[in-house]
Amino acid sequence: MSVELGHFALVLALALALVQTFVPFVGARIGSLSLMRVGEPAAITGLALLAAAFAALMLAYVQSDFSVANVWENSHSAKPLLFKITGTWGNHEGSMLLWVLILSFFGALVAAFGRNLPPTLKANVLAVQGLIASAFLLFILLTSNPFARLQPAPIEGRDLNPILQDVGLAVHPPLLYLGYVGFSISFSFAAAALIDGRVDAAWARWVRPWTLAAWAFLTGGIAMGSYWAYYELGWGGFWFWDPVENASFMPWLAGTALLHSAIVMEKRSALKIWTVLLAILTFSLSLLGTFLVRSGVLTSVHAFATDPTRGVFILAILVFFIGGALALFAFRAAALAPGGLFHPISREGALVLNNLLLTTAAATVLVGTLYPLVLEAVTGEKISVGAPFFNLTFVPLFLPLLAAVPFGPVLSWKRGDLVGAAQRLHFAFAAAVVSAFLAFFLIDRGSALAALGIGLGLWLIFGALTDLALKAGIGKVEPAAAFSRFRGLPLSVFGTALAHAGLGLTTLGVVCVTTLETERILTMQPGQTAKIGGYALRFEGLQPFTGPNYTEDRARFILTGADSVRLGELISSKRLYTARGMPTTEAGIRTMGLSQLYVSIGDATNDGGLVVHMWWKPLVTLIWIGALVMMGGGGISLFDRRLRVGAPARRKAGPAAAGEEAA
Amino acid sequence: MLFWVLAALLTLIASLAVMLPFLRRRGDQRAGAEHDLAVYRDQLAELEQEVGRGLISKADAAEARAEIGRRILRLSEAGKPDGGAGGERSARTIAAAAVLAVPLVSWGLYAFLGSPGTPALPLQARLTIDPSQASIDELVARAEAHLADNPQDARGWEVLAPIYARLGRYGDAAVAYRKTIALTGPSAAREAALGEALVGEAGGIVTAEAEAAFERALEIDAANPRARFFIAMARAQEGNTAEARTIWEKMAAGLPQDSPWKEVAGQAIAGLTGSEGEAPGPSEADITAAEEMTPAARQEMIEGMVAGLDARLREDPADIEAWRRLLRSYVVLGRKDEAGEALERALAAFGADSEEAETLTEYAETLGVPQGE
Repeated sequence: MSVELGHFALVLALALALVQTFVPFVGARIGSLSLMRVGEPAAITGLALLAAAFAALMLAYVQSDFSVANVWENSHSAKPLLFKITGTWGNHEGSMLLWVLILSFFGALVAAFGRNLPPTLKANVLAVQGLIASAFLLFILLTSNPFARLQPAPIEGRDLNPILQDVGLAVHPPLLYLGYVGFSISFSFAAAALIDGRVDAAWARWVRPWTLAAWAFLTGGIAMGSYWAYYELGWGGFWFWDPVENASFMPWLAGTALLHSAIVMEKRSALKIWTVLLAILTFSLSLLGTFLVRSGVLTSVHAFATDPTRGVFILAILVFFIGGALALFAFRAAALAPGGLFHPISREGALVLNNLLLTTAAATVLVGTLYPLVLEAVTGEKISVGAPFFNLTFVPLFLPLLAAVPFGPVLSWKRGDLVGAAQRLHFAFAAAVVSAFLAFFLIDRGSALAALGIGLGLWLIFGALTDLALKAGIGKVEPAAAFSRFRGLPLSVFGTALAHAGLGLTTLGVVCVTTLETERILTMQPGQTAKIGGYALRFEGLQPFTGPNYTEDRARFILTGADSVRLGELISSKRLYTARGMPTTEAGIRTMGLSQLYVSIGDATNDGGLVVHMWWKPLVTLIWIGALVMMGGGGISLFDRRLRVGAPARRKAGPAAAGEEAA
Repeated sequence: MLFWVLAALLTLIASLAVMLPFLRRRGDQRAGAEHDLAVYRDQLAELEQEVGRGLISKADAAEARAEIGRRILRLSEAGKPDGGAGGERSARTIAAAAVLAVPLVSWGLYAFLGSPGTPALPLQARLTIDPSQASIDELVARAEAHLADNPQDARGWEVLAPIYARLGRYGDAAVAYRKTIALTGPSAAREAALGEALVGEAGGIVTAEAEAAFERALEIDAANPRARFFIAMARAQEGNTAEARTIWEKMAAGLPQDSPWKEVAGQAIAGLTGSEGEAPGPSEADITAAEEMTPAARQEMIEGMVAGLDARLREDPADIEAWRRLLRSYVVLGRKDEAGEALERALAAFGADSEEAETLTEYAETLGVPQGE
């Protein structure tokens, strides 16, 4: 019964989403406050209903109820409990339900905590959110219903794709969706502003926390996906420029640009039109990502099931929202008043440069991702655009951006002084150059490229620290005063510094791995030892092992350091998931400091040997640690008190008092 | 029934939620300008902080202050309250329509999409269905679930093994027989059945592993008909038709009238005779086919198929699976010399050092094909 109740809750949520779309919108048009308010309870009740539907589906997974077609297709009674739960969204239908659940979660947050928003703006925002939710709920119910039933129920399920049977599935999709869908709020705010034909001064302040939260989640989601692919696929790479990865990377680039242009808009009322456009583009790219991944246009581990009607449906949603928003933009943008002026060399100017480079970078990724698809559709020719294209187009755009990042925060608003900024940064620059030289001369096989890259990464980190030091006045005032000033800095300053330093850490990790990594492929006999990265691995032999729903051959390696000290054991295995008869390779990874030793086994040879692929990856973990630091920076900024300003009701007892103080 | 009550309750809650803003009247309405003003005031305060910290020069600060002041001025000119009091009557109509739309849309769509009568069938419920209602697959799955929890249940394995064999799941059958033997000790019947499962898995060939099982069976009970039959088949597949015929003839003569093996042995002898001394390997499928065809017709059919395969491989030798099939067919037909010749042709086609050549040579060894060198 719980399954059917879940189904009914899903249908009811659609009815409420429709109400949430039309009633507040009409209310805002005819000026009825009560109608505008309907959006709030509709959004919150909608969230409760969707949560119930999701819980019902999850329960069906946990109980292995194969009378639900979706559960039968993607689960197996022998699967461990964790993967039964995560399997709920490890398939097309369930993941779309999670998508809408998160969408309505954000909508409900606006409804519950947006008390200080002007009523018309809030009504319009909730209406747009309701419209997005209605479209996707219709999509789910009509083309990918997770509650479709099977009778009679098969005795055993088809099991979840083994690659997805991993804790990564518990973390990566929810984080990624929180990011993707979080941008829907910025989109709704942009659409609402365009519908009203005016952008309030506080608009940027209201949009920023949502953008920031979505950006932080997306950063974490992408990083988690990258790490998951790194250890699960057994190829040892952290980024493949795979279209599916690009699909999540494009909104990240656009979202990063949005984050920065919203700052300009908030502080200086400038770049209003541009910020609104970016908000639309960012969510459009999120929708495009959803389309690319969910329509089956791309074949990958994410394309769970391909069904042409789904692709057409999502394409229609895509065209409706992107086209509609852009049409609204074209129609209304002229009505938005332009804001303050600024000199090209200024913090605004730096942020514009950031925006230009980021959006161009996003555009190159878009071209590289869509071109093969379009070409195949038009001429039938299959090509693949991979790392060489992106190395030639994306990297040259991103390097100047990285080099310019430390300048931004130290430039002043409106009219900056480049020479002064450069002087303020001389210490960071000198430190980065010295480190680059040290790297060039001291590191084995260190190339000029590696040295430059390491210098660039450290430049970002030192630049971020310099910014903090300058703002605290270290060196200018007494240490005690500097310390108290340091503690008194707004949280968003720390957030900026952390995010920029995190970018530096990621850069450092990427550079070190791509230039200094060592790799060996060899056939090992039991008892044989191989040396890599100053360590030695002795192959102990293969042992069979039976897991809950798989069998595997485990290769054991004994790891010893340079002085033959035993450091531990490493296990890499070849697994066979019995239900789908699908083999996977489990990599053996050992983290030492920030570096990793990565071992992936191949096939056994006839003479009892084993093909072993091993990598020494220096500082590889920095790639993901950097992303976590960026995420932390975003999180800290979120707690900045200033993000909640523009909220007269919050600081005052009641509406009457608000009027007094404002006067 | 409970489902409908709960569904109605959910609908009621959803409809009430839509009505909520009309149930409590609140009239706090603030102009958008106030929000803007708060932002500007905060910007001013921030500016003072920055001046205090020395992050911005006095002149810059004055200019910034002036700019924020200009924005506040512009605000008071343009300031207008948003929202109005009008349209409350049409609002009530719209609200009523919305409240009605909730049950109409949800019940209408659910009537179209839902299947309220379908019972939930979690794993536990499925495993406890009345066995007489369950299909054979369900029974097997249930037994498997039971054995996964109680792998020491020898009786369970013993019951399951022949069912696997009947379903054609020979690999599983072999595993189950091995478990039974390991748990309760060997018997002639179990060893012979294990051998038969292995023969089934190998597609009718009596492999060395299977032959070992039959020999173990005969050590325990030299009269076990199943083991004797398959040992004879092994001889026939090796080309030793005389010995095969001897064993089968003994079986046909010595077994009691009601033994099924008596008839099977008779058919096998007929098969030998039909092919005039050349031993076909009657696998279980062949035995079934033999019941429906005259031996001569059957032999003709097989010969035709093999000849066709041979001809195809002369034209297009790249298919390694087809080569395997051809080698096996020749061995089963007892034409080992032709198998050897086919192997040589295959090796020439793939190149003697190729991976395929290596695979085929290994395979030929397991079949006992005479090799060129």
